[in-house]
Amino acid sequence: MKKKFSAVLISLFAVMLIAVGCGSSTEKAEKPSTYTVADSTGDWGYPSPYAHYSRGPGYIRMSLIFDTLIWKDQDGYIPALARDWSYNENENSYSFTLNKNVKWHDGEEFDASDVVFTFNYIKDHPYQFVNSSNIKKVAAENNYEVKIYLNEAYAPFLSNIAGTLPILPEHIYKGVENPKEFRGEKALVGTGPYMLVDYSREHGSYLYEANDNYYGGNPAVDKLKFVKVSREMSASALKQGDINAADIPPETVNSLKKSNIKVVKSPYQWNAKLLFNHKSEPFSSKKFRHALAYAIDCERIVDVALRGHGAAAGPEMLPPDSPWHNPGCKQYEYDPGKAQEVLKDLGYEKSAEGIFTKDGKQLQLEMLTWPRFSREAGIIKEQLAKIGIEVDIRSMEAKTVDMQVTNWRFEIALTGHGGLGGDPEILNKMFLGKTFHSSRYYENEQLVDLLQKQLHEMDNKKRKKIVYEVQEIYAEELPALSIYHPAWYWGHDGSLPLFYTKGGVAHGIPLPHNKLCFLK
Amino acid sequence: MHINYWQIFKQNRVGIYGLAILFAILIFALCGPVFSPYFPQNTTTLTLDPPSLQHWLGTNDVGQDIFTRLLSGARTSLAVAVGTALLSTLLAVLIGITAALAGGITDRILMRFTDALLTIPVIVVVIMIAAYVRPGVLNLIIILSCLGWPVGARVIRAQAMTLKERYHIYAARVFGGGMLYIMFRHIVPDLLPLLCVSFIQGARRAVFMEAGLAFLGVTNPDMISWGMMLRHALEYCYLDAYKWWLLPTGFALSVTILAFSFLGYSLEEMTDPRLRRREDA
Repeated sequence: MKKKFSAVLISLFAVMLIAVGCGSSTEKAEKPSTYTVADSTGDWGYPSPYAHYSRGPGYIRMSLIFDTLIWKDQDGYIPALARDWSYNENENSYSFTLNKNVKWHDGEEFDASDVVFTFNYIKDHPYQFVNSSNIKKVAAENNYEVKIYLNEAYAPFLSNIAGTLPILPEHIYKGVENPKEFRGEKALVGTGPYMLVDYSREHGSYLYEANDNYYGGNPAVDKLKFVKVSREMSASALKQGDINAADIPPETVNSLKKSNIKVVKSPYQWNAKLLFNHKSEPFSSKKFRHALAYAIDCERIVDVALRGHGAAAGPEMLPPDSPWHNPGCKQYEYDPGKAQEVLKDLGYEKSAEGIFTKDGKQLQLEMLTWPRFSREAGIIKEQLAKIGIEVDIRSMEAKTVDMQVTNWRFEIALTGHGGLGGDPEILNKMFLGKTFHSSRYYENEQLVDLLQKQLHEMDNKKRKKIVYEVQEIYAEELPALSIYHPAWYWGHDGSLPLFYTKGGVAHGIPLPHNKLCFLK
Repeated sequence: MHINYWQIFKQNRVGIYGLAILFAILIFALCGPVFSPYFPQNTTTLTLDPPSLQHWLGTNDVGQDIFTRLLSGARTSLAVAVGTALLSTLLAVLIGITAALAGGITDRILMRFTDALLTIPVIVVVIMIAAYVRPGVLNLIIILSCLGWPVGARVIRAQAMTLKERYHIYAARVFGGGMLYIMFRHIVPDLLPLLCVSFIQGARRAVFMEAGLAFLGVTNPDMISWGMMLRHALEYCYLDAYKWWLLPTGFALSVTILAFSFLGYSLEEMTDPRLRRREDA
């Protein structure tokens, strides 16, 4: 009997040990010339233009191999495959003068025909991040001069097309019918500073090798590695020198700084957003949406759920550090009293239990959310309960929430998206677009018109004015409510200068892995 | 059937330990508010605070008192455990005894259905159902019971098969006793020790399943559950917070499951004379 009891005690101890040991080991850098970047997800798809996952980190892995016509650094546009470019207003076209000393990874010469080919190729095989419908024609003036004619003036052209579309090698891709399934060495022949040596979907790892013939400068390291390391382990892996850069939890920033780790803080380019089903009652009422906005204290959500590592968002969605942000929009300061007043105006009455009721029905809302937002959802529930609205939280896998939202099978949904640091075309995508990120709000004609107009306004000042107006109307209409912009931190050993790109990498990816970071 | 179970149980130390631990957990769960002045759901800006006199086990990532949540978690665990155990045992009794008494085609259909359910991995089904319903405490009890009865039903059927051949049951039948009458008047009392075992095993499984499902994040996020606490605590295991957040929660969960196991083990021993004899030897 005694023996049995001690065996039970030992098993209890073992359970505790398992609970404590929650880490995994990380890979060791083989030699100093290898730079290792940790990522908590790992796999972002095969890094060819058509095969990578349609998310920022997937694009980053592809962008090391493929170049675009122009690129961005901390301050703005810089030459890439094109060394010079200009807009010809009279014929609504862009002229690009290409670099002459560029070679594909397989040694073939790069020239204007590749650019023309790529623009024609994406008409038949749409590229995930570029909408080619506005491109009228592309013509090579000579081997190193290309002109791209547009149907309508398109303000985000430089950022969202010329600075995003990877140029494909004609001699390889001309025979490829199904680029999404195209694999092998040839699928990864680009002009970029690095070449892929190994990709493992299972391990979520990528290994690149320097392209010593790169026209834009010398690669800073011989080998570049992306490995999967859980976010919880990233700080200790950084301290031990197992990895060179990682996304780190905010709580570890101070201790890492003490251990000589450099920390870069992201600009606010992402937002957590409360989507309303404005197609159905009671959310179809603008005033009702206003009442919810008054009842939700975004500052407190930042203080509690993010522990202060972020900024409360305004109803205009764009973050305060965006050059397009309109600080003069209507704000819904936290005011539970006002929220209740608005609800009473709408005919709601408080029942004996303190819950708002209309036509004998209690005001009970269902909120869909991802497990990662469970904290935020809990606080919103608490705040709405305070004014007399009951909220049921349904936590589901992100993809399920997205599907429910797409089909309008929800009441309110707490989700989020990025892209806020780039071109204000994001407003069109997030207000009028058809995806689950978008509020898909077409009730206000003026808003729809202005959004169309800003895309075609080539004068930056005039465009800014329109974008300001768009934000004012959006903040008043409130088809969705932005809650906060989180601050993200990347820790790195300082051997390479990681930086955040102005307006995000390419079309607005908020990651400090611009390929320029990995060049000398 | 003239066995003094309590006498046998008292001699079984493991069983007594199990019962004592469960009793302690029950007291903690019921008297939670007496021990702690905080509300488990209230968030504060005092986040990830180490243990202090105000917060015995510190606060979590959204400033909630961990000790208070631990006590509330015990309530959820016990409620799900008792509810599921009761309902699944009831289902097992109804189905097991019906199959045994009715025999023939009814027996065959019921048992094949039981076999079919036994082969389905419960956790996968629950995850699927959770996508459609909101698994709060009540829903969770219903789902877990609907999937948890087959084990008990098989054992009960086997025992009821032998019981139904006894003379007092024959007598009751001859005098016109209906199936339900025989079931509850004669068979269930004879099966009582077995039902206790089935109940405790069901409870143990339910605690484990509830924590597991909450850990996976498929249950109602409002529900305060040890599984959910473990899940959140793991996200911060790079900080010192695991010492007063992850460890106590893991410990509470392990101890509860152990207590149920102890009790189940000793009850089984008590009802099965063969096990008992071996132990005495």
